[in-house]
Amino acid sequence: MTRSSQQRLRDELVASLALMAAVAAVPLAVTNDYWLGVLIVSMYFVFLAGGWNLLAGYAGQFSLAPATFAMLGAYGTGLLAYHWQVPAWASIPAGILAAALIGMTLGRIVMRLRGPYLALTTLSFAEIMRIVIGNSYDFTRGDLGLSVPALTNNRLVWYYVFVATVVLMQLALYALLRSRAGLYLMAIRDDEIGAASRGINTAFWKTAAFTLSTALAGLAGVLYAHFSSLVSPELGLILQTGLVICMVFIGGIASLVGPVFGAFLVYLASEALREAGGVQLIVFALLVILIARFFREGLWGLARRLLERPAP
Amino acid sequence: MGTTAKSRILVACGAALAMSAVFAAEPIKIGISITQSPPGSVVQGTQVKDGVEIVKDMVNKAGGVLGRPIELVYEDDQGIPEKGRAAAEKLITRDKVVAITGGHQSSVCLAAIEVAARYNTPYVNTNCWADAVRAKGYANVFSAPIYSSRVAESVAETLGKLGAKRIVAFAENTDYGIGQAKAIGEALKKMPGVTYRYETLDRAGKDFTPAILPLRADPPDAVLMVMLPPPAYTVMNQLYEQGVAPSAKTWLYDTSGVADYPDFWQNVKEAAVDMLNFALYHPGMKQPPLASEVAQAYKQRTKNEPNRLIFQAADSLLFIVDAIKQAKSTDPAAMVKAMESMKFTGTRGTFTISSKPGNTFHQMMDVPTVTYQITAVGQPIGQTTLIEGPGVPLDVKQLKKPAK
Amino acid sequence: MPGQRVLNIDLFVNGLIMGSFYALMAIGLTLIFGLLRIVNFAHGEFYMIGAYAYTLAALKLGLSVWLGLPVAFAVGGIVGWLTERTLMRPLYAGYASWGLMKDEYAVVVTFALSLLLINLVDKVIGPYAVRGPGLVDIPRIALGPVMLTGHKLIATIVAFAMIIATALFIRYSLWGRQIRAVAQNRLGASLAGIDATKTSSIIFTLSGALAALSGALLAPIINTTPDVGSFPAIKSYVIVVLGGMGSIPGSIVASLLLGVLESFGAVYISYDYRDAFGLAILILVLLLRPQGLFGEKGREV
Repeated sequence: MTRSSQQRLRDELVASLALMAAVAAVPLAVTNDYWLGVLIVSMYFVFLAGGWNLLAGYAGQFSLAPATFAMLGAYGTGLLAYHWQVPAWASIPAGILAAALIGMTLGRIVMRLRGPYLALTTLSFAEIMRIVIGNSYDFTRGDLGLSVPALTNNRLVWYYVFVATVVLMQLALYALLRSRAGLYLMAIRDDEIGAASRGINTAFWKTAAFTLSTALAGLAGVLYAHFSSLVSPELGLILQTGLVICMVFIGGIASLVGPVFGAFLVYLASEALREAGGVQLIVFALLVILIARFFREGLWGLARRLLERPAP
Repeated sequence: MGTTAKSRILVACGAALAMSAVFAAEPIKIGISITQSPPGSVVQGTQVKDGVEIVKDMVNKAGGVLGRPIELVYEDDQGIPEKGRAAAEKLITRDKVVAITGGHQSSVCLAAIEVAARYNTPYVNTNCWADAVRAKGYANVFSAPIYSSRVAESVAETLGKLGAKRIVAFAENTDYGIGQAKAIGEALKKMPGVTYRYETLDRAGKDFTPAILPLRADPPDAVLMVMLPPPAYTVMNQLYEQGVAPSAKTWLYDTSGVADYPDFWQNVKEAAVDMLNFALYHPGMKQPPLASEVAQAYKQRTKNEPNRLIFQAADSLLFIVDAIKQAKSTDPAAMVKAMESMKFTGTRGTFTISSKPGNTFHQMMDVPTVTYQITAVGQPIGQTTLIEGPGVPLDVKQLKKPAK
Repeated sequence: MPGQRVLNIDLFVNGLIMGSFYALMAIGLTLIFGLLRIVNFAHGEFYMIGAYAYTLAALKLGLSVWLGLPVAFAVGGIVGWLTERTLMRPLYAGYASWGLMKDEYAVVVTFALSLLLINLVDKVIGPYAVRGPGLVDIPRIALGPVMLTGHKLIATIVAFAMIIATALFIRYSLWGRQIRAVAQNRLGASLAGIDATKTSSIIFTLSGALAALSGALLAPIINTTPDVGSFPAIKSYVIVVLGGMGSIPGSIVASLLLGVLESFGAVYISYDYRDAFGLAILILVLLLRPQGLFGEKGREV
């Protein structure tokens, strides 16, 4: 990794930590449960966007199932609690593990292939999971959803659990991207055939990145399940995946801070725009197309470029 | 509390009273959580909205409640439990409503009542049939519509009188469809010699022919529909296309009230002729005078014929208004106490509120039901044959069996 | 047992009918894949637009249903052409500064386009289900043991006719031969004087038009809503992989196979999970024979 790209990664980490510090300070000014709830859900999306960005932005592999893996994590913990009264300290890691293991299995099947296979397979997988969870009524209670024990009803406690976990995720991603593994992933993204010819086991590293991103989605899912005390198949709607992709692109793909920034921005905007009559998705989808077409680096890229422009 | 503090509060209260006499009275906010955008049923949401709007206008024209007008605050739940949870929370914590109503899909109601119970806000269920909404036993949750196991009993009774022994149900793969199909199975267990099975169909599906074809070789006595539009229409059309039901051998019996959807006749034609319908409203049934007032207002407002949802929505809001009147306050505990002990007269009749734990907990008891048969394409409900209703015992002789 | 045999015939015919509509959709997707090696995730929305174009032309404009079909075909073609002009050009028109690879660009852009079209239609036309009028008003015909509506019969005939016409067009017409040449070797074709950009334009137009026609033919059978395309689209993706990524005969056979398989599986395996069969097969095929049932080993260009 070159010095400048290392410097850039550190800048992005610092920017994202600064953003999280600001978020952590919000309860000093805002005490309304509702707005704290909105910020908590935004942080749920930060995990999904962060995981998806690791896979898409740094490893160049496009999955269309981040929301599905969040749903799997949530059902993992939800089903254990509902059917067997497993306590949360055991069901939460089990939920994350379940999402990651399924992710790893799927990754091993599909990551041997290049091209759009991953997108196709994950989309099909999302659809299979929707059908299976929706129709296995006796086990999953279908679209009625499962009620999950809320560990605490104290909003503030949940708020800081989410803030702390996001910070941990950012630090972990930073460490990963600085390491040799990060280097391999970016090499695969930039030129897969070239990377393979230099002896990088591309299938292994792609699968690893996919597994990690599904684990992050699973983490988001279990936290959310216990926060909202409700698990329902809607968590895995393809629309939710669309929202995650919008967040990453609008914030800025292939940067540490872009997805964090994008998740807060897009989710807060969609809450604010709700009253305007559901035009959010139209606006977001249009923005993604324009950004992908003309301005690859998203809002974070724009901000950085403006800041770095030398004085005339 | 010290005497000075007490007297200060009294002074403050007095001042507030004086203020309210001078300024316009502050409205009482009531939260309405309905589906205003897909994937949920926007049709149902719109009808609930019309129903509560009519009652709001009536109440405010008559001077409001406790001298204050009522104001309705809407939230869109999209028919998604998660959004329903968020909507209830938003209404309670941000808009500070005194009660919530409007829920018209069981999975959404079940998510919303968790929030309402946590904040102890009165919640009146408008159209959630699932027994579970009652069985949860939440003190602040009341139910205006009929409940699943009662629908099942009524359907089973009608099937018994028809002499149907071999029964197949098509249920949509939702909490409503599967839950209701199971409840009907339970109710039919009590009847000797009856065989029953249900097939779940995906709401997103478009071709149900493979599920229908096996019935052609082996026609049952009745096909039950436990599905909501639009897939209900697709299934009906394909049942007709395959000549399965309604036919000389097989009754088609709808248990979900699809025939009073405004887009019913745009989507089905011959397939609906001779179909039997379980329903909660028929223009020919006996209703209190308040019902015709609401029906009139609805026709003026929308140019549509009223249906059950209009009356259920009207009753839900009226129930909250009456509770505030009786409690003489908007304090949640006082409202819940009033609701529990009220004898409530709405558009559908006079109801007592059951306090027996289980499927009827906090339920308006003995909601009237009807059964009617459609006899021609494009027929308005008023012209269908009323076979059973309040004060009208089921008369099988009135039924017309299809010729082929 | 005669009842059993009749049932099996019925299931087979029903499977072929559904398969013919799948094929109409999947051909366009196959062509795009064969040519550009990308997947168009907005393909289902071309189908949705076709269903609406047909239904609204008949119900709102009062056009004859027989005019509704070409209208839907044309509208789908225009949307396909516009998609190619505005979004796909950078894939091959020499945009040098790719921060990301083109596969990813195509996935994201077409996925966002799909979201955009669904929500746009939802806002403009509304979320309510609409059912198109049938091509003929015959509610029920019996053909031997098979019963179906007059509309379904005619729609199936039209679908098969269009599939054959498209296959002949690709095989024998000048444009068709150019398409195949570009699909085989973009560089070689351009050296031979074939305009690859124009060929891509034709492919997208044709693909949009065929998907829209499929939607139009099904409009009287399904109840059209803005998200109606997502389901058949997913089936088409399965078919494209199954048929060997880019092979037209492969995709036609795979479509009919999937239709029949779902029909029988629904009765003999499980109705509840029948829509998962195709998807499960997709994952199996990727595992065992990633080049598809009919495809050759992938060519690196």
